[in-house]
Amino acid sequence: MNFVFWVGIGHAGTLISAILFLLRQKWRNGIARFAEGMTIFAVMTAGIFPLIHVGRPWLAGYLFPYPNQHSIWVNFTSPLLWDVFAVSTYFTVSFVFWYVGLIPDFAALREKTSNKIKHIVYSIFSLGWRGSNKHWQNYEMVYLILAGFATPLVLSVHTIVSFDFAVSIIPGWHTTIFPPYFVAGAVFSGFAMVQNVLIFVRKIFNYEHIITIDTLEKMNKIILLTGTLVGYAYAMEFFIAWYSGVQAEQFTFINRAFGPYAWAYWIMISCNVISPQLFWFKKLRRSLVPMFIIAVFVNVGMWFERFVIVISSLSRDFLPSSWAYFTPTATDFAILIGSFGLFFTLVLLFTKALPVVSIAEIKAVVDGAQPTHKEH
Amino acid sequence: MSSSLTNFGYQQKELPVKVRNIGLALLLIGLVLAVIGYFVEPVRSMFNNIILLTFIISIGLGSLFFVALEYVTGAIWSVPFRRVMEFLAATLLIVPIIALPLLFNLHDIFHWTHPEVMKTDKLLAGKAPYLNEEFFIVRFLVFAALWILFYYAITLTSKKQDSTKETKLTRRNIKISAVFIPVFALTVSFTAIDWLMTLEPHWFSTIYGVYYFSGTVLAALAAGTYAIVSLNEKGYLLKGLDKDHYYSLGALLFAFVNFWAYIAFSQFLLIWYANLPEETIWFLQRWDGSWKYISILLMIVQFLVPYFGLLSQPSKKDGKKLKFFAVWILAAHYIDLYWLAMPTFSKEGFVLGWIELAYPILAVGIVVLVFSLKSKKSNFVAIGDPKLKRGIEFKL
Amino acid sequence: MSEKKLYSYTALFNTPDEIIHAVEKVSEKGYKNYDVNTPYPVHGMDGAMKLPPSKLGYIALVLGLSGMMAGLLMTYWMSAIDYPINIGGKPIFSFPAYIPIIFEITVLFAAVGTVLAMLLFFFKLPNNSHPLHGTNYMKAVSSDKFGISIQVDDKLFVKEEVINLFKELGSTEINPVYYDEVEINYKNKIFEPKFIMFLVVAFILTSGATYVTLNKLMFMVPFDWMSNQEKVIPQSKSMFYSDGFGMRTPVEGTIARGHIPYPYKGDLEAASAMPNPLLPTKENMKLGQQKYDTFCSLCHGYHGEGDSRLRGQFPNPPSLHSEKVRNWSDGSIYHVIMEGQNIMPAYSSQLTNDEKWAVILHLRALQRSLNAKETDLQ
Repeated sequence: MNFVFWVGIGHAGTLISAILFLLRQKWRNGIARFAEGMTIFAVMTAGIFPLIHVGRPWLAGYLFPYPNQHSIWVNFTSPLLWDVFAVSTYFTVSFVFWYVGLIPDFAALREKTSNKIKHIVYSIFSLGWRGSNKHWQNYEMVYLILAGFATPLVLSVHTIVSFDFAVSIIPGWHTTIFPPYFVAGAVFSGFAMVQNVLIFVRKIFNYEHIITIDTLEKMNKIILLTGTLVGYAYAMEFFIAWYSGVQAEQFTFINRAFGPYAWAYWIMISCNVISPQLFWFKKLRRSLVPMFIIAVFVNVGMWFERFVIVISSLSRDFLPSSWAYFTPTATDFAILIGSFGLFFTLVLLFTKALPVVSIAEIKAVVDGAQPTHKEH
Repeated sequence: MSSSLTNFGYQQKELPVKVRNIGLALLLIGLVLAVIGYFVEPVRSMFNNIILLTFIISIGLGSLFFVALEYVTGAIWSVPFRRVMEFLAATLLIVPIIALPLLFNLHDIFHWTHPEVMKTDKLLAGKAPYLNEEFFIVRFLVFAALWILFYYAITLTSKKQDSTKETKLTRRNIKISAVFIPVFALTVSFTAIDWLMTLEPHWFSTIYGVYYFSGTVLAALAAGTYAIVSLNEKGYLLKGLDKDHYYSLGALLFAFVNFWAYIAFSQFLLIWYANLPEETIWFLQRWDGSWKYISILLMIVQFLVPYFGLLSQPSKKDGKKLKFFAVWILAAHYIDLYWLAMPTFSKEGFVLGWIELAYPILAVGIVVLVFSLKSKKSNFVAIGDPKLKRGIEFKL
Repeated sequence: MSEKKLYSYTALFNTPDEIIHAVEKVSEKGYKNYDVNTPYPVHGMDGAMKLPPSKLGYIALVLGLSGMMAGLLMTYWMSAIDYPINIGGKPIFSFPAYIPIIFEITVLFAAVGTVLAMLLFFFKLPNNSHPLHGTNYMKAVSSDKFGISIQVDDKLFVKEEVINLFKELGSTEINPVYYDEVEINYKNKIFEPKFIMFLVVAFILTSGATYVTLNKLMFMVPFDWMSNQEKVIPQSKSMFYSDGFGMRTPVEGTIARGHIPYPYKGDLEAASAMPNPLLPTKENMKLGQQKYDTFCSLCHGYHGEGDSRLRGQFPNPPSLHSEKVRNWSDGSIYHVIMEGQNIMPAYSSQLTNDEKWAVILHLRALQRSLNAKETDLQ
C-alpha cells in the first residue's frame, strides 16, 4: 500500500521531466531537475517496502535471477518479480536521466567555484564536460532517447504495480481497467505532491520568477484531468461490477461504500473526485493557499485509495473465516511516518548540495537565448 | 467567402468535383451491396452494420474530441488544420442514419433482447435494468443528440470566428469543449459497451471503454493526418505547414499506436493470467478455428508494422509515409472492430465475402462525401483564429 | 616541466546570433578541426557546423533489440530448460507473463547502454585534463558566453589569419590555449590502469562487505531480529508445553493420509477371504514384478524357489511353489506380507496396499510357470 503510494509519487517526477520534454512544453524546465530528484528519492523510499513485505528481508537476494546453490531460478510468472525488474529498471534509468541532466550543471559549478575541494568533486562528477557543441549534439539526441524511454517506462512500472493486484482473482482487485487507472492515479498523486513541495521551494529559494504561477496553474490543470480520469475509473468499476452479475464483485463494492471501511471509502471519494473539481475555477487554480490545500487533500485521498483497494478487498475475500477488521499497529504508522521522513530528508539533502533547477535548461529557454536568425 | 491575401496567404479553393463524385460513387456501390446483403444474409449484414457504425463513430467523435482537446489545452501547432478535423467530425450527423436498420432489428443481433433468454438466464435477468431494448435505444438517441449538439456548438462558433475574428468566441469554445470532454469520455465508453460488449452479454471488462477510446483516437488521427497531408500537398492549406507539423502528427500517431497496444495487452494479460472461465471465453472464441489468424494479424497490423514504420524521426516528418501509415492504421482499426464484433456471429472462423467488403467501401464513401460536402461552403483553414499566426510559425 | 605547446586559439562572443554567424563563417572558410563551446545547446548550431546527424539513435535501437533478445533467452532458458517448475498450471514457457520483464530489460539495456556508449566512446569522458580545462575561456563558456576554438592541427591553421578572422567576426577576447605534452592523452581515459585498479578494489570491497553483511552480520545480535522467531520450528524447544518439547506426538488415533488401518490384524482366517482387487493387466504385472524383485527376491529368490542371495546370513525360506502355498488364497498371502510369519518380518510399511496385491499377482504367475496345466497352452 505504502509501496504503491511512493512509486506513484515517483512517477510524477519522470512525467514532468520526460513526458513534458517530449511534448515540448517549455514550462517544465524550471521544475524538471527537482522533479527528477523527487522521483529518485520516492523510488528509493518505495523500495524499502517490498523488503518489508516479503517477510524475510535478509533473503532479498532471492528475488534476483543469479546462479545459486539451489540451482533454482526465480519465478518469472509472478507479478512480484515483474515489480523487481520494473522498479529497479525505473530507478536505474531515472537516475541515469537525472545524472545526464546534471553533467553540464556540474561543469558550470566546477568553473564557478573557488573552493578547491568542491572544484575537485565537481570536476569528477562533471566528467570533464566542456560544453563542446559536438557533444551537445549527441547529448541532445541521447536526452531525447532517454525521455523517449522513460515515458513508456513510467507507464509500464505503474502498470506492473497494478498487475500485482489485477492478475489475482479477488473481487475488487481483478479488473482489467487497473493499469490505466493506476497510471492516472500515480500521475495524479505525484503532481499533487510535487506541487506541494514546489510551493515551499519557490518561497524559500525565491524562485518565483522561474517556478511561476503559470507553471503551477498548468500543474493544477493536470491534477484536474487525472483526478477526473480516476473518477471515471471508479464509475466504470462500479458499473461493470453491477453489470457483471458476479455476486462477489457486487458485494465488494457495496462493502466498500457501506461496510466497516466506509469511512476510508468516503474520504477517498471526497478527496479524489470532489476536491480536484474545484480546479475548474481559474481563481482557485492560481491562488497559492487554496491550491496547496487541495493538493494535500489529493495526497491524502490517494493514500486512502490504496488503503481501500488493498484492505477492504482483503478483509472480505472469498473465505468468510478469514474476514477480519484490520487495524494498523503503531509499528505500521511508524513505518509510514518514517518513510515520509526518509523522503523529505533526501529531498532536503538534495536541495542543499545540488542545483535544484537545471541551469543549462533554463539558460536555453530564457528570452534571448536562442538565435533569431535575423539578417544583418 | 473571402479570398483575400491578408489571411496569411490563404486562398479559398474548393475541392474538385471529382472528390465528391468518388465519395458518392463509393457510397452508392457500398449502399447497393449492403442493401442486397440485408436481403440475402440479414444477420451477417447487421453485424457488418455494427462495425460500420462504430467505425464512423470513431472517426466522427474522435475528430470532435481532437478539436475540443485543442481548445482545452491551448495547443498552437494544430490550429492551422483544426478546420479539417471539424469537417471530419461532421460524419456524426450521419450516425443516426447508419444505426437505423440496427435499431429496428435489435432482436436478431443481441441475445439479451430475447425474453425467453431473459427469463431463464438468471445472470442476464439481473442485467435487465440496463439491457433492455427501450433503454438501449434511448441511450443511443441521447448520445447521438449530445454529439450533434456539441458538434454544432463548437463548429458553428469556429466558423463564425472566420468572419468576425473575435477572441471571445475562442473563450466560448474553450468552455464548451471543457464540458464536452467528460461527456465524450462517458458516451464513447458506453457506446462501446452497448454495441460491442453486450454482443456477448455474459462477458465484461472494465477497460473495454478505454480500448474503444484508443481505437477511436487512432482512427480520427489517421483520417485527419491523411486529409491534412493530402490537402497540404495540393495547396489547400496554408504555406508554412511543414515538417514540424507533420512530425507532431506522426509522433501522436506513433504514441497512440503504442497506447492501443498497451490497452489491448493489459486486457489480454489480466484475463489470461487469472484464467477465470467467465472471462477467458471471449479470448478463446477469438482463438478458435481461423479466428486465430485474425488475432495474430491484428497484432502485426495494428502494432508491429506501424511501430517500426513510424519509429524513426525522419519517417514522422515524411508526408508520403504519413499518408501510407494513416491509411494502414485506418484499415487496422476496421479489422480491430471486425475482430471485436464478428466472432459472436461466426464462431467457427472468420467470414470474408462481398458483404464484408461492401461496408468498408461504404465507410470510405460516407467519409469522403461528407467531407467534400461540408468543405464546400467553408474555409479549409480557421482564418479567424487568433492563434493561427503562431500556429503556422510553430517550430519544434 | 615539459614545454608548453600551442593547442588552439579561442574567441569569445556575447550573443547567440553572433556565434551562429561566426561559426557559419568559420565553416565556410574550410576549417575542420575546430570546436564550439556553449553553456547550453544553441539551436541551429549543428547545421552551422555542418555536423553529420548523430548515430546514437541506431545504437539505441540495436541495444534495445539485443536487450529484448537477452530477456527472451533468459526467461526461456531459466523457466523452460534449466529448471522448469509447474506454477499454478501455467505453461512452462508462459510468454505473456514474461512480456513485462522482457520489456523492462529492453529499456534498461537501451537506455543505460546508450548513455554509456555516448559518454565513454563518443565523448571519451571522463576526461578532466583536456587542454581547454582550467582556462578562463572554459570559465566563460560555462557561464554566459559562447566560444569557438580553432585547433593548431587544422590544415588551414595560420596564427595571424585565425586571429584576424576572429577580430573580423567581432570577438572581443581572443586567447591562445597551451597544453602540456604529457597531459594530452587521446586514449580513452576509462581504460587507464589506475581506473581499472580502482574498479577492482571497489569490486573486492563491495563483495566482501556484502558477504560479511549477509553471512555474518545477519546472524549476530541485534541484527538477527528476524532469524529468531516465536514460531516453533522442528526440533526446537518450546516453553509453551510443560515438558519443553517442541515436537509433539500426534493425537491418539491419527493415521497417515491415504492410509487405512489393517482391519484383519492377527486374524489369518478372516484375511484369507479377501479377494485380489487387481486385474492381471500388463501394468499390474510389471509393477508386481518390480516390487517382488526389490523386496521379496532377496530371501525368496527371483523365481520364488527360496534360493536366497543372503548366503546363509538369514535362513532360507521354504519354496513358494509348494502345494501349501499354491493352495493359500490371495488374502492369506496378503496377510503374511502384512504381518510377517515366523522369521519373516512384516512388510506392511515397505509396500503400499496396491503394490502388495500386485506382488501377489506376480507370485501367482511364478507359481503357474512351474505348475502349468495343459489348458494353459491354449
